[in-house]
Amino acid sequence: MSDLLNVDNLTVRFEVKRGGGWGKKSYLYAVDDISFAVKKGETLAIVGESGSGKTTAALAVARLVKAHSGSVCLGGEDVLQTQDEDLRAFRQKVQFIFQDPYSSLNPRQRAEAIVREPLDSLSNKSAAEKTQIVEGLFQAVGLRPEQQRLFPHQFSGGQRQRIGIARALATQPELIICDEPVSALDVAVQAQILNLLRKLQKDFGLTYLFISHDLGVVQHMSDSIAVMYMGRIVEHADRMSLFTAPRHPYTQALLSAVPTVDRVKRASQKRILIPGDPPDPVNLPKGCRFANRCLVAQELCHRQEPALMSDDNGHRTACHLVS
Amino acid sequence: MMRPLLDVQNLTIELTTRDGVAPVIDDLSFSLNAGETLSFVGESGCGKSMTALALMGLLPANVGRISSGHILFEGADLAQASDARLRKIRGNDISMIFQEPMTSLNPVLTIGEQIAEVLRAHQGLSRKAAWEQAIALLDAVRIPNPKGRAGDYPFQMSGGQRQRAMIAMALACAPKILIADEPTTALDVTVQAQIFDLLGDLRKQTGAAIILITHDMGAVAEMAERMIVMYAGRKAELGPVDQIIDHPRHPYTKGLIECVPHIQSELSSTRHDLVEVPGIVPSLREFGKDQCLFASRCRYLTEACLAGRPKPKEFANAQSADCWHAEEL
Ligand SMILES: Nc1ncnc2c1ncn2[C@@H]1O[C@H](COP(=O)(O)OP(=O)(O)OP(=O)(O)O)[C@@H](O)[C@H]1O
Ligand SMILES: Nc1ncnc2c1ncn2[C@@H]1O[C@H](COP(=O)(O)OP(=O)(O)O)[C@@H](O)[C@H]1O
Ligand code: SF4
Ligand code: SF4
Ligand SMILES: [Mg+2]
Ligand SMILES: [Mg+2]
Repeated sequence: MSDLLNVDNLTVRFEVKRGGGWGKKSYLYAVDDISFAVKKGETLAIVGESGSGKTTAALAVARLVKAHSGSVCLGGEDVLQTQDEDLRAFRQKVQFIFQDPYSSLNPRQRAEAIVREPLDSLSNKSAAEKTQIVEGLFQAVGLRPEQQRLFPHQFSGGQRQRIGIARALATQPELIICDEPVSALDVAVQAQILNLLRKLQKDFGLTYLFISHDLGVVQHMSDSIAVMYMGRIVEHADRMSLFTAPRHPYTQALLSAVPTVDRVKRASQKRILIPGDPPDPVNLPKGCRFANRCLVAQELCHRQEPALMSDDNGHRTACHLVS
Repeated sequence: MMRPLLDVQNLTIELTTRDGVAPVIDDLSFSLNAGETLSFVGESGCGKSMTALALMGLLPANVGRISSGHILFEGADLAQASDARLRKIRGNDISMIFQEPMTSLNPVLTIGEQIAEVLRAHQGLSRKAAWEQAIALLDAVRIPNPKGRAGDYPFQMSGGQRQRAMIAMALACAPKILIADEPTTALDVTVQAQIFDLLGDLRKQTGAAIILITHDMGAVAEMAERMIVMYAGRKAELGPVDQIIDHPRHPYTKGLIECVPHIQSELSSTRHDLVEVPGIVPSLREFGKDQCLFASRCRYLTEACLAGRPKPKEFANAQSADCWHAEEL
């Protein structure tokens, strides 16, 4: 399969106020020169700790936050510069599902209007066509037709997430960005939603950019995984390689930290506890960003930042100890 | 047999809401032995936090009350104890850490001052001794540079550091029972691993028993010896963690274990759909009915399940499940 999404050297920075220097601007590089591609019909997961830049990267891909530099190509077309009609077309092709099914739906709108909204603003379809599409969407996400008339507060958390999914599907997008789509849900409901997302992917040939901090969920959902740390991708590999042979010390710590019911894994795997906290994102240290917590850091690591290097199979790692 | 540290007998807690009065905890019995870790699991709204709050004497005023049952702690009944007595036990012998440490820390006092205050109130230490002890506690919960960090305000700390400070505060009175209500839900998994490791060490050093409330079966498997699965205010299953995970006897427990995509050691390239537990936890209005409250979501449902509340079925391995069909599972 060919790539649907190509992200190259994407950087997003925010201006931050810091006491001290007169008129001197400080920047927080939330996403710092990242590149990746997602094949059509596949799922790329982005994992990493809070503040590592996952959401910001996703928002930049969807053009919901401004990129400082770099390029984003969807189906070969550079989308960061598009305007007007092209931008409308882009918005139809890329949709978002948010973490919080409570705050991401307008409480004063009926479910039917919420799901129809992207059609109203982005398509030229007739009212009758839209009604028909919305009906089909309710069915596709497992909601009953009569529930179209209800308001968000009349739904459970899982049902609200289904509304959010129906809304994201309305314009027949190619890429759906799911930012922690099940984190706010109970485990039983989480399973219902994850199954639905996989079914929809198969039925509609969807491509997912899937953000989650739950590595079990990521293992179940993704074809490849990018691990972010302090705005950078530190490792990127297919599902099998990343979970069975992680190379970056941060990825190894991350995977070993997941508590599991699997007794074999618990007995065989030693937990790697990484000490301390991530560095100040506005005042990053010189060398490797992970160096102050890395248990195998060398002298070189504090001097020089490692580049993200690919092996022959496309397994990419940014660490001086991995070559 | 040794007397358990805590013995909860037939505890029923009623909540008064707009919809009426409902038994949010419905005839719950369990015991906690000195030094053990007991986990409560279940989806949200099943009464895990209410159980913890009842033990702490912190039920929401005018809303929740213990309507029957006993909470026996070292021979005294906390369900009956006078407020002054309860406060003393709560301060000294049982303490609690919450999911969001920010809500239980005072934002305008430094971390060191807050811990020192607890020490002065409960152990009668002098100002200077309390401050020094506070620094020692911050060191014990592995806050780097504890002397310097004691002067930090809560907002100056990361989420993980705040939770560690909260644990230091809970430990300030050397409790016999530490209740941790979803202590890591808001934290990253690497930080969660640090906190769990810390709790495990503290348990070894202080001999405190821990009640760990969580919705993560993996965390239960790592941390606890015994577990109680709660559903709609009732105990669904109780027993040794390994036994329950190997062979759950209640359909709800089985569902909770199976529906989660656990990270696997043997990864295969084919992936199946996750097992679904259909539906959701019933609302408070349904609590207390004389039938199995899991019935609407259960694939083992028979008529018997609707005809009466299931009685606990005890198994030889100390496992017990409140299900009419526990033996068939
Ligand atoms: N609008 C903004 N202005 C300033 N800084 C921001 C803004 N949005 C994000 N940041 C900062 O950018 C960094 C990356 O944030 P981002 O929300 O992308 O992280 P994340 O990986 O999605 O984290 P989480 O797991 O907590 O959702 C953080 O340091 C954050 O504080
Ligand atoms: N202060 C309160 N007032 C009214 N109802 C409450 C209050 N606190 C909790 N409840 C209700 O009690 C039930 C059990 O809550 P809780 O013990 O917090 O569940 P859990 O911790 O298992 O998620 C829920 O239905 C919840 O909405
Ligand atoms: S480059 Fe050095 S500090 Fe960074 S992850 Fe590799 S070994 Fe650790
Ligand atoms: S009593 Fe019946 S409905 Fe309830 S859990 Fe057991 S089999 Fe299911
Ligand atoms: Mg985010
Ligand atoms: Mg709770």
